[in-house]
Amino acid sequence: MSSTMMKSTMKSVLLGVSACVAMSASAFAQTVAIMNGDVHTISGNVIEDGDVIIRNGRIAQVGADLTAPSDATVIDASGKVVTPGLFAPYSSIGLVEIGADQESNDSYPEGGFSLGAALDATDAYNPSSTLIPINRAGGITRALSTPSAGDTLFGGNAAVIDMSGRVNSIMKPAAAQVLVMGYGGAARAGDTRMGSWLVLREYLDEARSYRANPNDYVRRPHEGRFLVSDLKALGPVIAGEQPLLVRIDGANDIRKLIELKNTYSLRVIVVGGSEAWRVGDALQAANIPVILDPLVNLPSQFEDLSATLENAARLHAAGVKIAFYNPPGFGAHNLRALTQQAGNAVAEGLPHDAAMAALTINPAEMFGLASRLGTLEAGKIADVVVWDGDPLEVTTQPEAVLIDGVVQDLGNRQNALMKRYRDLSRGDLPHAYRGGE
Amino acid sequence: MQKLKLAALCALLLGACSQQTGDNPATETDAAEAAGESKTTAQETAANSESEEASDDGPSLPSKNPYPSTYEAYPSDTVLITGATILTAAGDQIEGGSILLQDGKIAAVGAGEDVTAPDGAVEIDAAGKWITPGVIDIHSHLGDYPSPSMASTSDGNEVTSPNTAHVWAEHSVWPQDAGFTRALAGGVTTLQILPGSANLFGGRSVVLKNVPSRTVQGMKFPGAPYGLKMACGENPKRVYGEKGGPGTRMGNMAGYRSAWIEAAGYKKKWDDYETDYEEWAAKDDDDEDKGDAPDAPGRDLKLETLAGVLDGDIRVNMHCYRADEMVQVLDMAKEFDYQVTAFHHAIEAYKIADYLAEAGVCAAMWSDWWGFKLEAYDTVMENAALVHAQPNSCAIIHSDSAIGVQRLNQEAAKAMAAGRRAGIDVEPKDAIAWITAHPAKSMGILDQTGTLEAGKAADVVLWSGNPFSVYAKAEKVYIDGALMYDRDDPARSPRMDFEIGQKDNDFTGGAGQ
Repeated sequence: MSSTMMKSTMKSVLLGVSACVAMSASAFAQTVAIMNGDVHTISGNVIEDGDVIIRNGRIAQVGADLTAPSDATVIDASGKVVTPGLFAPYSSIGLVEIGADQESNDSYPEGGFSLGAALDATDAYNPSSTLIPINRAGGITRALSTPSAGDTLFGGNAAVIDMSGRVNSIMKPAAAQVLVMGYGGAARAGDTRMGSWLVLREYLDEARSYRANPNDYVRRPHEGRFLVSDLKALGPVIAGEQPLLVRIDGANDIRKLIELKNTYSLRVIVVGGSEAWRVGDALQAANIPVILDPLVNLPSQFEDLSATLENAARLHAAGVKIAFYNPPGFGAHNLRALTQQAGNAVAEGLPHDAAMAALTINPAEMFGLASRLGTLEAGKIADVVVWDGDPLEVTTQPEAVLIDGVVQDLGNRQNALMKRYRDLSRGDLPHAYRGGE
Repeated sequence: MQKLKLAALCALLLGACSQQTGDNPATETDAAEAAGESKTTAQETAANSESEEASDDGPSLPSKNPYPSTYEAYPSDTVLITGATILTAAGDQIEGGSILLQDGKIAAVGAGEDVTAPDGAVEIDAAGKWITPGVIDIHSHLGDYPSPSMASTSDGNEVTSPNTAHVWAEHSVWPQDAGFTRALAGGVTTLQILPGSANLFGGRSVVLKNVPSRTVQGMKFPGAPYGLKMACGENPKRVYGEKGGPGTRMGNMAGYRSAWIEAAGYKKKWDDYETDYEEWAAKDDDDEDKGDAPDAPGRDLKLETLAGVLDGDIRVNMHCYRADEMVQVLDMAKEFDYQVTAFHHAIEAYKIADYLAEAGVCAAMWSDWWGFKLEAYDTVMENAALVHAQPNSCAIIHSDSAIGVQRLNQEAAKAMAAGRRAGIDVEPKDAIAWITAHPAKSMGILDQTGTLEAGKAADVVLWSGNPFSVYAKAEKVYIDGALMYDRDDPARSPRMDFEIGQKDNDFTGGAGQ
């Protein structure tokens, strides 16, 4: 991480009314003291009237009655809630600007493109996407930039990114591989689940064979069903090193997935899981987390019949680690609504602290980053959000967002448009001359 | 053709979404193509029906209501709810308020001491709870894009011609859609079901009471006017660009205008017929010159609906995202002398909120959806509040989603909070109208529902707390005074046919699932 790079992207910052601070030019070296807030550490109890001291991008101290260092930028968090930054564990952030326009949507291949697993989000990730500051203003500080499957079963390598928008914001490339099963998988394999499971097993067998001896593999004759680039990319999956994110909903399909995970010793994360609660005990026993949309409660397909608003609460009660994602089709534009989704899960029985964990530490654990992210503990990366109330409440907003200890600009394109058209009067010049930031 | 799973959400959003789902790159056009290839000729085959036979009683005019509502309110108790915070949607927030429901109507609403119960009334202590009018969604496709969402149930958009004004959404509504029950658990008592937005003229909408019925007629809101769905912008030109057009926004405008010209001619034929008939009927039967009664013109279903707009009987609901297009449409409405009732998905309403208020047109908006297509790029969270801030404005929050319809209260809350942060004076007593009184006004049913005022239908929601909180739940939902949903009583939670007998799938259904 380069400090010059961070300096160059720092802008003057206007925080909320109660937390107005002037920024120093030396952003990375800055010391920040967030004082007197309700501090949700996630790792332990809520510290009422607590403080978080940040130095050199890391959390230096968390506790009550701390003293702000003399060189610190002080954020008064009295009456506010302080949490770790939120982590969106499954989104197409940075890969899409306009969903419907192919020219600005890199999130999956089209037109019968033959490769899948070998694709890599880092090749397309655009840190200047307007979606990033818009969702950063909603408290999202990290995300998995996730490609989706095109015509093959695999979507490719997803990357953990930070939401600073700076040039080098890839935190962990190849953090996960993406697979679609359930009906979505069947639709890509002869329109039958028999096809999708058969093809998946063959992919895994071939990938294992390739990984065991690449030179030998390419010399032997093959039917040409799979491309070597894809098999090579599946190496870390078959080695159990890289988690496989599996879009899958029905309980019957998930049972099959658990069997496959055990047979091949894979690391698996369920995404979707509308019926996951039906197999909660088995998921817990197999150590498979679930990334879900807690608002799904319609029998949309025969694989979703038992979808219920209590999915999150029931999975949590079964000991399954959960996190949340926006439903497909809204995969990146409204990551800021993850808090609303979590709030609704709480309204349906999920404990509030479990919902907060699902937004912070759980995704960090899923992608092997729990030692660096996800809680407010000394030594961790200082991704911190100061909220004007309960983070899960629909009327609440962040007043300050820090990424790597740097206070972020909460301005974005939507704010600029709002300011431009706040006053519709004709004025001395057209609207195109106003608020041109 | 390869089957592609349409996420329920996306299918419901046919008009709005059109973005590819994350793992299932099904596009709106796919759905459009799935809807059918053959051109319908329904409008050409409409034959004169018996009702059109001339009689001595007057000219033979087509029935304006050939599929009449058979809705009847279910039995209700006299109910007094006390101690609640009441948002009337008529401008008041009453603390410690009471409401009396009697004979299916709101008998009284006000401060606790002002409302008393007659003997035998059921009394409900609602301390700490909130009461609002039943929620109204002006933009729904429930029943037309039902659950389960399969090619075989995709009945929401007749994507066969840019002008399908002849189709009626009610003829696609499957009353067994489980989505209706989930919406009920979100406090929704009335919905407008619209055709999709692939066409310039999508067809007629229908207004439904959210009361399960074996028939769609049993759900139809008695007396509610019909609506016409129209669409601006990207959808029609994308769907028809390579199918004979329109392929451009100017093509869209030309398509509307040509149709209005034709409709005006059709209207004139029928107006002339009525005049001729009156003149004929006025003649003495003994008059040798009287002759036979004039013949009625031939019917055309498409033009009948468009003429209904020009007559002021049918309300125009126009899907339109961009500010500049909305203002073009306002000029077109002047050109052909009709009124636009509401712009739906009005992402850029805030840029022309003054024009909309001046023209008396409602803007139906989402709180924060954006970016799924370029015409949805410029949304702002303050959109509804900025529209609201104009004098004589009409801001509406709509869903266009089987998921979103379940929590329109939260969507209104987000839009309200954003407005307040921007310094716009908007409170719960105002924002509640965005999902109740304003859609009711736009749909022509405000005289019957949409506010809590004595004499109106007892369409009422009792919330567990402040409905502008994520944690609030609709506990009881009354429609015409009948308790149609009770969160604490499984016997008061509807289960559609599709949902029963599936226990092996752990599928029990019901409003609160």
